[in-house]
Amino acid sequence: MRNRTRLLTVLVFATLAWAVVYPNLVVLGESVVEDGAVTLRHYAEFFSAASEMRALWSSVWISIATVLLSALIGVPLAFLFARFEFPGRRVLGALAAMPVLLPPLVGVIAILFLYGESGIATRLLQSALRLESPPWRLQGGGAILAVHAYSMYVYFYLFTLAGLARLDPAVFEAAASLGAGRFRTLTRVTLPLLTPTLAGASLLTFMTSMASFSAPYVLGGGFRVMTTQIFSSKLQGETGMAMVETVMLASVSLLVLWPLARWEGSREYVAPGKGTRAARRVVKSRWATFGVPLAAALGVLLLVLPHLTLLLVSFVPDGTWTTQTLPPSYSLENYAELFAEARTLKPILNSLLMASAATMISIVIALAVGRLVVRNRVTGSRALEGLLALPWALPGTVLAIGLATTFSVSRPWALRWVLVGTPWILVMAYSLRVLPLTGRAALAGFRQLDPSLEEAAASLGAGPWRSLWRVTIPGLLPAMAVGASLAFVTGLGEFVASIVLYTHRTRPISVEILSQLRDFDLGTAAAYGVLLMVLVGAAFTLGQRWIQGGREPEG
Amino acid sequence: MSDRSFLELDGLTRIFAGTPAVRDLSLAVGEHEIVTLLGPSGCGKTTTLRMIAGFEQPDSGRVVIDGRDVTRVAPQKRGFGMVFQHYALFPHLSVGANVSFGLETRGLSKGEIAQKVGRALDLVRLPGTEDRSVGSLSGGQQQRVALARALAPEPAVLLLDEPLSNLDATLRERTRRELRSLVKEIGITSVYVTHDQEEAFDLSDRIAVMQAGRLEQLGPAEELYHRPATEFVATFLGRAGAVEAVARGPSQEGVVPCRLAGDATWQALVPEGAGVNSGAGVVLLVRPEVLELAEPGAEGSVSGTVSERRFAGSVYVYTVAVDGGELEVHAGSADATAGETVGVRPVDAPRGVHAFAKR
Repeated sequence: MRNRTRLLTVLVFATLAWAVVYPNLVVLGESVVEDGAVTLRHYAEFFSAASEMRALWSSVWISIATVLLSALIGVPLAFLFARFEFPGRRVLGALAAMPVLLPPLVGVIAILFLYGESGIATRLLQSALRLESPPWRLQGGGAILAVHAYSMYVYFYLFTLAGLARLDPAVFEAAASLGAGRFRTLTRVTLPLLTPTLAGASLLTFMTSMASFSAPYVLGGGFRVMTTQIFSSKLQGETGMAMVETVMLASVSLLVLWPLARWEGSREYVAPGKGTRAARRVVKSRWATFGVPLAAALGVLLLVLPHLTLLLVSFVPDGTWTTQTLPPSYSLENYAELFAEARTLKPILNSLLMASAATMISIVIALAVGRLVVRNRVTGSRALEGLLALPWALPGTVLAIGLATTFSVSRPWALRWVLVGTPWILVMAYSLRVLPLTGRAALAGFRQLDPSLEEAAASLGAGPWRSLWRVTIPGLLPAMAVGASLAFVTGLGEFVASIVLYTHRTRPISVEILSQLRDFDLGTAAAYGVLLMVLVGAAFTLGQRWIQGGREPEG
Repeated sequence: MSDRSFLELDGLTRIFAGTPAVRDLSLAVGEHEIVTLLGPSGCGKTTTLRMIAGFEQPDSGRVVIDGRDVTRVAPQKRGFGMVFQHYALFPHLSVGANVSFGLETRGLSKGEIAQKVGRALDLVRLPGTEDRSVGSLSGGQQQRVALARALAPEPAVLLLDEPLSNLDATLRERTRRELRSLVKEIGITSVYVTHDQEEAFDLSDRIAVMQAGRLEQLGPAEELYHRPATEFVATFLGRAGAVEAVARGPSQEGVVPCRLAGDATWQALVPEGAGVNSGAGVVLLVRPEVLELAEPGAEGSVSGTVSERRFAGSVYVYTVAVDGGELEVHAGSADATAGETVGVRPVDAPRGVHAFAKR
């Protein structure tokens, strides 16, 4: 038994080290090597090139600005829905989380259809004001920032909602009993108690923004950030420079992550009692009974408008929408075509297959690590946990460059094989990218699972397999269902690593959307986007169902 | 205790989703008095406390503190201190900052605040703990910080919502004595909520027993125990066996003779203002300590069968099944055993024998 555990530990550790750490070491190595000799030439070049410095700075300031702007939208929105009771609150509150359903690339093109140079909103405004040219160009840093804020405020919104729900409502009553009014309670009690939550949301937003590729790639124009800079260096065959850029992006990300994550972990305020739930203030004054729901509805409409636009454009036959404000004709042609032709069906099948495979692989690894860390408490548990979470800290571009570099040569003695060009490299990339999601779920699941349940099963004569099958897995199901649906959804819409690693044969939906867009087949691109959205929504719903089904019958 | 009522509840009613949680509750608490709201869970005691605080709005009725109608006044402007069930200490603030929280908007100087915080912490026997984090304190210490925090701004009224329920049994007993002497020393008008009658007995000047949103009886502990106004109060406070009987003759000066099965007649107390007519069916609720075991058929006794005998330290507790009910008897000896037929009679009737009209 002990030996088997040790064997499993070594096996899992070696696999993770090889898949997660090794490719990064290869990149680091190649960044200081040229023609077989060690050199710092690429680094010198990097630090002396104005364009490189500009890209690095752009990545940082856009990320900081994204955090601020997302907080500015997400936090008040969460307070509105958590603290006030008004007609339509539940529906609008759920709709406000919609952008989470949009894979980043789909979000970007949806916004392009709406606010782009020839987007619906832009043209509406242009014709209303009788302007010669579009009122704005959706390009450059500002455009990237706007799209980031649109898709990432959700982190602040959901984190704050959850954070508020976790606070002990008696704390607010205590503040009132001590004479504190609304403002003082907010500044002295509520916000300080929310700091860990807000730090968590900031961290997630910052990391996501640093790693963001779709928005800068599609909207950047000449404006470069590190991720797009890496991609273009690689395309132009400047391998050494691409390596250095990759190292720099990874370093900056980890540099920010480290202190923030430590700080966040050191403070956690948990409500000691359940008490009564904080009462939502019922909106009473006359203007507010109309005003609040109206403002909420308008705000939410603004947030779901891109989804609606995408849906609209998906019904537009390719090539029919040229200079009109609104597309002139609609049909189901695009959808029919999607499933009728092998050429257009292929990416859908690719994405479904590769996302499923990646989800399963990552679940197996996550469960193994969860068991070893939480149950067996093996030596090196912290390292295992760290390996599980590391791909989250590494931007997708960094991960993809690592895999592309490491697995493009055949050196079996160095554990390097040629995987580039095969579907396996994509499955591997997807598995790594979703590993933190299933890993987190597995660790949480094992921690919530009372170990005496397994002991009880053993006392009733169940062997390890029966105990695993009848007790452990059902107990883990709720947590794993969430992790798995998140993982599957992430795999389905994956774009950042895919664009580095795909071939024509293995192209996923996201890459296909981009190429349809290049051919101005807007309708088809939108139809793919809607399909992704539906699949994502379905996966989430299924995950939720599963949780409820596992706990109690409905009704 | 002064006679002047300091806190008045006047016809308070609160309805949750069609079900009244508190119905037409009126209650006056005198200055410097400690009144306990006592009742089983769901009786409306916490809702009442929260209406005094202003965390709940009554559907009708008034809350008056020191002559001022505060029914529509926001909680933060009512001037009360409150100790919460789970303390609700601010986890991000130190002990000192928790205690000073209510003082900071008073326009006091830093020195004055520090002095008042120090005094409040001295009062609860936690001197010099200002800089500690609340998470590092034990449950009992947290409870005392919560009390210091509530008292520091010198509120007019102190509200306590089951503040001892999270302490273990021995600590709870000691803390409630300390709490009473402390509150009495300060002389603050207090309303205390609990479901534990021992706690209520120990702490209160008067107890308000509540059930299903109504006030059943209000009075000092002795009065509630010895002269329960309703069947509920008689059974909720202390133990009581129940047996059916028939009134023989009308009640006079609060006492009525009742005939039990087998012709025994016991004198019983009737609640004030609740006359019993001759021939009416009644339920007798009888305290176990006023009953004794006798030979079967002994004068004034009812016969029954011992169904259980328990040893409870100072006494043996007999459960005796009699015609029309079941009685509990405290006795000093282990004379009878389960299954035996015995007689049961009151020692000092009507003391401890309470008659209530059958519903």
